[in-house]
Amino acid sequence: MTVQTERQDSRPAEVRGVDGGGGRPQRRAASRARTTALAPYLLLLPALAATLLLLGWPLVKNGLLSFQNLNMRQLIQRLTEWNGLDNYAEVLSSSDFWRVTVRSVLFTGANVVLIMILGTLVGLLLARLGKRMRLTLLIGLVLAWAMPPIAAVTVYKWLFAQRFGVVNWVLDQLGFHSMADHNWLATQFSTFAVVTLLIVWQSIPFVAINLYAATTTIPKELYEAASLDGAGAWKSFTSVTMPFLRPFLYATTFLEIIWVFKAFTQVFAINEGGPNRLTEILPVYAYIEGFGNQHFGMGSAIALLTIVILLALTAYYLRIVLKQEEDEL
Amino acid sequence: MKRKLIAAIGAAGMLVSVAACGSDDGKGSGADGFKGQTLTVWAMDGSTPDTWTKDVTAAFEKKTGAKVEFEVQQWNGIQQRLTTALSEENPPDVFEIGNTQTPAYAQTGGLAELEDLKKSIGADWTETLNEASVFDGKQYAAPWFAANRVVVYNKKVFKEAGVTGIPKTRAELFEAFDKIKAKGKAEPVYMPGQNWYFFDGLTIGTGADLVKKDGDKWVSNLADPKVGEAMEIYKKYASYSTAPKDKDEATPQQAEVFAKGKTGAFIGMGWEAATAIKANPKIEKDIGYFTIPGETADKPEGVFLGGSNLAIAAGSEKQELAKEFLKIALSDKFEGQLSKELGVIPNKESLQENLKGQPAGEAAAPAVASGGTTPLIPEWAAVENPPNPIKTYMTAVLNGKSHAAAAQQVEGEFNKRLAQKQ
Repeated sequence: MTVQTERQDSRPAEVRGVDGGGGRPQRRAASRARTTALAPYLLLLPALAATLLLLGWPLVKNGLLSFQNLNMRQLIQRLTEWNGLDNYAEVLSSSDFWRVTVRSVLFTGANVVLIMILGTLVGLLLARLGKRMRLTLLIGLVLAWAMPPIAAVTVYKWLFAQRFGVVNWVLDQLGFHSMADHNWLATQFSTFAVVTLLIVWQSIPFVAINLYAATTTIPKELYEAASLDGAGAWKSFTSVTMPFLRPFLYATTFLEIIWVFKAFTQVFAINEGGPNRLTEILPVYAYIEGFGNQHFGMGSAIALLTIVILLALTAYYLRIVLKQEEDEL
Repeated sequence: MKRKLIAAIGAAGMLVSVAACGSDDGKGSGADGFKGQTLTVWAMDGSTPDTWTKDVTAAFEKKTGAKVEFEVQQWNGIQQRLTTALSEENPPDVFEIGNTQTPAYAQTGGLAELEDLKKSIGADWTETLNEASVFDGKQYAAPWFAANRVVVYNKKVFKEAGVTGIPKTRAELFEAFDKIKAKGKAEPVYMPGQNWYFFDGLTIGTGADLVKKDGDKWVSNLADPKVGEAMEIYKKYASYSTAPKDKDEATPQQAEVFAKGKTGAFIGMGWEAATAIKANPKIEKDIGYFTIPGETADKPEGVFLGGSNLAIAAGSEKQELAKEFLKIALSDKFEGQLSKELGVIPNKESLQENLKGQPAGEAAAPAVASGGTTPLIPEWAAVENPPNPIKTYMTAVLNGKSHAAAAQQVEGEFNKRLAQKQ
């Protein structure tokens, strides 16, 4: 949300800059802010406190657990057994962990690419539609976005149920009789396919609505100017629309990577990481090792490593953001 | 630090309550000594039929003056819930626990030792059922009830193939399968490649151990020729079936396959028949049961004894009251009543007559004496987490690998799981 409002501020300024006129409103805003230096910090305080309390403290606890040998026995007898880096050494040297990591990255990549492409297309469609159709589509998108994940998973499980699922029934009716009793959750690939469909479907609305919002900030005159210069539809898309959309695309891609990477709910609820633990992604793996197999210390270590990997994945975007802020200062 | 503090407060609290108990009414074990107390009992879904619960509650309240509260638990996620509950200040006083899970919990120190209870009421508990309650030579739970697999068969299919009389030996059973096969109208037996608890029973029959001690740690013993022998028997069963070699009996539910009427038999729990009847009510009159026959007519096949124990939480403040409850719940009267109401195997052989009139229970009972469980070591639980390496071994053998090669293939994974930290 904050990202959006920032952009809307800076965008026209930059465009004016390209035009050759106008000053830099940020600089004036910054000097104003300096005069009332304390106010922003006070405003930040509640959010910071909540973050520290609800995220920071559990994270510290989790960190402490990851250096302990904490299993059923230690939990029941309330023993604290520090074991240094043993958990990390064991996790990092196990082939399972790396297999799950690679799987998580591929899974996230495939989903985010699909989400971004389809979401952008739907967003652009929204911008082009007439009022009534746009409202209809928006309502549909918001409903899909608002559906609680567990409810959505349950619906998908029904859709793809082996014996009474609508999908198999339709395929059967269409002449694919071998699909009548098809078990969609029997193999790794098809389980992932169902999960991907679900996650992409759930994530498109956010991207689409965001992108649609971005297009509303583009002044109409720019398109007129572009067409006067003889730009076709593609050219005006790449040189007018895209520059406006780019920051939004960065931001939404960044958020989608985070959301898909930690999509525990959908993956676990649909088949508990099965068949044969083949659809476990990192958060599911951490849960199954930690809670399922009751190696709480080990689970904590995997969870922390998951955060590190996620940070590495999103480092590119973070760098862009940090660099931008440096430039703006 | 904080944890120590909590523990200290807990310990102090316990001392206070023990002291209170002592000063209030002498020893607290007299007829009315428990008045005002409430005992919490965790029972698994389906283990405590209504009448039994009502009768036990009445008897308990009459004898001790205390109240008892049953809390029914779902199987799903029970281990996690039990671990958490046992680590808290107020654990359930008495709880039901799966027999193969008992050693792991005994090792955690969460279960109270019950040597004296075994001495007072457990002299004639069935030996094979009690084994799971003993850890490191000491009694940590009391056997409650058990269930084991039988041959569930389609009387019509057997009759049409000319099989008269119930097979008494393994050879006779295979002869019957041969006849059904020759007739060509039905699959003689439904045996998927990974009916692992049936295979576990076969290894008990051949006297094989799945794990052995190497120094101070447990390692795989799959390479033992006796395991191979059991697998040979399994392979013979599977050769009569077209079921998938890489699936277990639950995918698809074997009873639902059987319900179609094109299957001679399957090896399963008595209650699985209900699943078949639900899928196809017409099959009910054709369903029969018999004990899985062994090498000779006098000794049935080895079976896996799935069962439940009752245990007392080490952290419970009502140890004596909890023992009183066990004495009542496990008395011949109520043990027999439970067996009758649920159709499960009671904890004493002398009580097996309660199964009369329940064909599945009657078929199951003879195998109990020669039954067994999975290895009773705390490390075992990790082995059965999917993908269970023994299931992988079974599929490999059925797909043509030799016993030795298949055992070697999974030993690394097997040993890794046995070596998991406790």
